[in-house]
Amino acid sequence: MSTNDTDDEVRTDGSGGGIVAPDDETPTWSERKQRSQGLSRLTYEYFERSRREDQDLRQQSDYVERDVLAFPAWPHEMIRNLALTSFFVGMILFLAATLPPEMPNPANSAVTPAIILPDWYLYWSFGLLKLGPLNPDLSILGGQKLMADRTYGVLANVVVVGFVAIVPFINKGSARRPVEQPFWAAVGMSGVIFSLTIAALSIKNLIPMDSHLLFDLTFLVPIVSATITYAVLKTMREGYMFDLNRRYYRLRPPK
Amino acid sequence: MADEFIKGFAALMVGGLGWMTIAGWYRTPSFEGAQLIGELPPAETRTVFDNMAIAMMDVFFWFAVLGCLTFWVLIPLFEEARNYFSERSA
Repeated sequence: MSTNDTDDEVRTDGSGGGIVAPDDETPTWSERKQRSQGLSRLTYEYFERSRREDQDLRQQSDYVERDVLAFPAWPHEMIRNLALTSFFVGMILFLAATLPPEMPNPANSAVTPAIILPDWYLYWSFGLLKLGPLNPDLSILGGQKLMADRTYGVLANVVVVGFVAIVPFINKGSARRPVEQPFWAAVGMSGVIFSLTIAALSIKNLIPMDSHLLFDLTFLVPIVSATITYAVLKTMREGYMFDLNRRYYRLRPPK
Repeated sequence: MADEFIKGFAALMVGGLGWMTIAGWYRTPSFEGAQLIGELPPAETRTVFDNMAIAMMDVFFWFAVLGCLTFWVLIPLFEEARNYFSERSA
């Protein structure tokens, strides 16, 4: 190695005519220096300390590291699964024996029931058929409606189901917890509440409330709950050391 | 803390299940009206076993309420207070 300094010489920081050309990803020395402070320093110490504790535990114990990824199916997994299965089978037997369900008379197909309702899990769709008050009267049509209320209700089903189907495509984030994306958590929360309120609207003759107030609350309560969700999650981000956790979750294995 | 949570949760679930079962027997006169909180059968028609079960229903109910209150509120509150006073005196 000659003693004269030329630009062709390999330098330890990767600058100059080095072996590996620095690209946009390579941190400069000033950037590396910045990582010795603040949150990045805290992150480094956090992982270094947990790694060191893990190493100490392994060296102190007589634990033999084996090349396995999980517990064996027999007996470990099987005993756990049997315990869970026994619990749920026992609950089914207990409830079926102590609280047998009512067996009403068979349906009479010759008589129309007084209240026509779908099964409870379809109440939300049934409620969307009752959005007639939202069907606008157009002045250019002389106060007539563009479509019948029943057509409007069916279109409302298309819009709502379409929005639910679109959400996974417009938010492709990798957030695993609501605090990571408060806005989308609020959107989801308003959807959950709306499915409940629209279900309540569908049985408005059974709800002890003024039906106009119920109609307004159907749309106001989801907005209020979304606002509350957003505010709470935005506040929680502080206490969660959000940035530190985000660095941790970046280490998640690739899909 | 996790232990206290599961103790309170177990009290809530055991008490709630027991209350729901007995209330389903004695406080559900029909499936059309009020269920689990309906009218009790009149006292003169009850046997001694019915009276025992109805007493157990209240026991289960208050076990559920007081059990989870104790483990989720009272005991943590007591621990917090004890820590606070021991830190203040130290």
